Amino acid sequence: MACHWAVAAVVSVLRGVRRHVGSRLIAACAFAAALALHAQAGAQAPAGSIYVQCPGDTNGDAIPDAGADPNVRCAHLTAGDGFVTMADGRRLYMFGFSDITGEPASQAMDIGALAANFPAPTIKLQEGNEFYLNLSNVGMVMRPDLFDPHSVHFHGFPQAAPVFDGVPESSVVVNMGSSFTYYYKIVEPGTYMYHCHVEATEHMQMGMLGNLYVEPRQNQCGTSANPDLCPAGFAPGTKYVYNDGDGSTAYDVEYPIQIGSFDPDFHDASENVQPLPFASMRDRYPMLNGRGYPDTVNTAVMSTDTDRGPKPSQPVHSLITASPGQRVLLRLSNLNVTRFYTLASTLPMQVVGHNARLHRGPTGTNLYYTTNAVTLGGGESIDVILDTSGLAAGRYLLYTTNLNYLSNDGQDFGGMMTEIRIQ
Amino acid sequence: MRARHRSLLTASILLAASAAVAPAPARAQAVVPGLTGSAFTLTARADRISTPDGGSFLFWGFAAGGGQPQYPGPTLIVQEGATVTVSVTNDLPLAAGQRASLAFPGQTGVTAACTGGTCTQGAVTMEANAGSTVTYSFVAARPGTYLYSSASRPDLQAEMGLFGALIVRPTGFDAGTPDGRRAYASPDSAYDHEYLFLLSDIDSRIHDVVEAEGVAALDASGLLANPETNYWFINGRNAPDTMAEPGTSRLPTQPYNSMPRTHPGDRLLMRVIGAGRDLHPFHHHGNHARIIAIDGFPKQSAAGGPLDLSHEVFTIQSLPGQTVDAIFDWTGKDLGWDIYGTAAEFAHTCNGRSLDDDPPGSSGYDATTREYCPDHGKPLPVSLPDPLSLTFGGFWGGSPFLGTLALLPPGQGGLNPNAGYTYMWHSHTEKEITNNDVFPGGMMTMLVIEPIGVPIP
Repeated sequence: MACHWAVAAVVSVLRGVRRHVGSRLIAACAFAAALALHAQAGAQAPAGSIYVQCPGDTNGDAIPDAGADPNVRCAHLTAGDGFVTMADGRRLYMFGFSDITGEPASQAMDIGALAANFPAPTIKLQEGNEFYLNLSNVGMVMRPDLFDPHSVHFHGFPQAAPVFDGVPESSVVVNMGSSFTYYYKIVEPGTYMYHCHVEATEHMQMGMLGNLYVEPRQNQCGTSANPDLCPAGFAPGTKYVYNDGDGSTAYDVEYPIQIGSFDPDFHDASENVQPLPFASMRDRYPMLNGRGYPDTVNTAVMSTDTDRGPKPSQPVHSLITASPGQRVLLRLSNLNVTRFYTLASTLPMQVVGHNARLHRGPTGTNLYYTTNAVTLGGGESIDVILDTSGLAAGRYLLYTTNLNYLSNDGQDFGGMMTEIRIQ
Repeated sequence: MRARHRSLLTASILLAASAAVAPAPARAQAVVPGLTGSAFTLTARADRISTPDGGSFLFWGFAAGGGQPQYPGPTLIVQEGATVTVSVTNDLPLAAGQRASLAFPGQTGVTAACTGGTCTQGAVTMEANAGSTVTYSFVAARPGTYLYSSASRPDLQAEMGLFGALIVRPTGFDAGTPDGRRAYASPDSAYDHEYLFLLSDIDSRIHDVVEAEGVAALDASGLLANPETNYWFINGRNAPDTMAEPGTSRLPTQPYNSMPRTHPGDRLLMRVIGAGRDLHPFHHHGNHARIIAIDGFPKQSAAGGPLDLSHEVFTIQSLPGQTVDAIFDWTGKDLGWDIYGTAAEFAHTCNGRSLDDDPPGSSGYDATTREYCPDHGKPLPVSLPDPLSLTFGGFWGGSPFLGTLALLPPGQGGLNPNAGYTYMWHSHTEKEITNNDVFPGGMMTMLVIEPIGVPIP
């Protein structure tokens, strides 16, 4: 339900005129005072077009061609609507993202229609990448009355600039039938998250939320990409959560686990074009990675029926498996919009990262701690390592200790829980 | 595409017009506003607060002296080591049947004396009966950020608004010098700008029942035991009023605003107080912030030394009754492109190297622009879409570059006259950025990173 303007003639005349305000004010600082008329940087794509920008990609599928700069990473996401299946079988309307990287950009409107995923497609990057994230707004098929823009907010991105922050109040966001390319130079490893920031309460309750994390340069120790950043006792192939310098964040297997929850009344009101219940919003479907238990341990991609047939809706399971002795990294994040959740494990969890930072003081003082439970509000992330050495094979649990949320709406014994299988 | 130029005069007029309809930029300050000294007189009384959706609710608040009460109460700013006295006079409506008192969590050795009329010894402290005055005294032993709050039926009285912030300045504090502006004794706690974020929440039904039917009816209603919060505040205001001028005449009982402003490279001290019932994940867009103290306890292993136990977050977990001090800064380091742009509108240098030098950048930061020189002269790596493909934010200045305004379609932009970089600072429990059923609003404001040279008082 966004405002919209359609004064193309006036716009095209005024566009491209700019001046620098700060320069007038800092003239006393010996800067050249400059008020200049000047064209927009770079070439502009025509209005209302779907396209990708990806250096080294010549066919528009957002995959750099062979021989391109290996540090360039591209993706093409669509933003639109779809349907999702709760663990009690209930189908809910949602807004969301879909990954069409590898598909021709010209097909985005068709492929992206009713294709929303929950959670949004997982974005996994390496420190040192230059990430070109193309977002195409394919509109909401079930809500032809809406003409909402969409955006990507790379939540936690350090030293962010408004142009790529995805906040509609402070930036620009992309209209239906158009594309916007976000650029991120990836310099800090860690567990982040992403979501649409347009009409944030609505679009986030509706499901535009996903996992995003960055692997550290330390992983490439000994290669030409990283000749210097090596922990003591490094063995090739070892993976770390952060550039710890001492190997203390090494792990064997990793799982991004994103806390989320839905209020079905809100989703139904949206589907039925009713006033949206903000004040009475109360989530009744607590989930991990877009599913309630027991769907969390179903390793298959879940699909949901839409007006255009069944579509993959929930591709991410949360079944954690490891061999005895392995170190298991859980990248925990919370993107629900209504409350804090406490997540507990029947195994001790060592907290090594907090909000996409190695959990150390500014001079390297170690702040790691071991706990059985962590409490996360929306927009928080934490990295924990489960050490399974000495454990008997068997089934352990990761679950909310807000016990009423071990439910799928009225269905008992479900909700925000998954299994850790040591086998 | 070839640019179609208009006369500079026309452009200036249009820009001036858009600035004229926008709220004036909020006045900021190196220190938070409040009452300074060591002896304070507060009066608890009833008045009304306004919410941006047109709501108007009864509240009980503390007035400075005998004036109009405010939400939250006056921020009390004292010096470490001072003997502080706070007198509280109970001018709450007689029909409410309330006593008035204060608790000072984090302060030790608080004494209470009945200094006017009659008082009652309550479960926590001495409480002033109607029309009476109780005076508290304590030594402000530790610098830091603290809450003061009602100790008489706090379930009701804090909901109604009887609380405020207490800031204890460290010994040697001097707002006028960079080294003197410190939150704690540690030099690591030095800052350039200081802002309070006192987070609170109400269930407006409770206020309506108290007003229409009285406290007894409220107690019978069960609402206090099962509140359904529907308004969320920073410094006593909901967005977008958070961004209005401090002391604006249209919000006479809500004098404090919340619109932090800073420059690239400046250090901004956030004093975050959880004054309400709920936990809030306070997400500050733009960059990480370093948590330097919780509840007035600096994150250090040796008193007065480096803040070696501090750590960085992108979301501050604010718990009820807890305070968090954090330092935020931003330079745009490693964005991979020049924050001031590479075109003629701002032909800046970085450590003496011009945009035309090859290479234009060097190491380090420019001392004046605070630009990160390795990014100097690098163009924005992507093209932005045609304006017809975009929806523009009110704080969007028309250009991706700091300090550069570009013309926007009529009616767009206009809230950011200096073309600063703006970032939403808000509760990430996004339900809380609404005013009752209206989005946007609530516990939300914008940070402005102003171009170097834009004065921030």
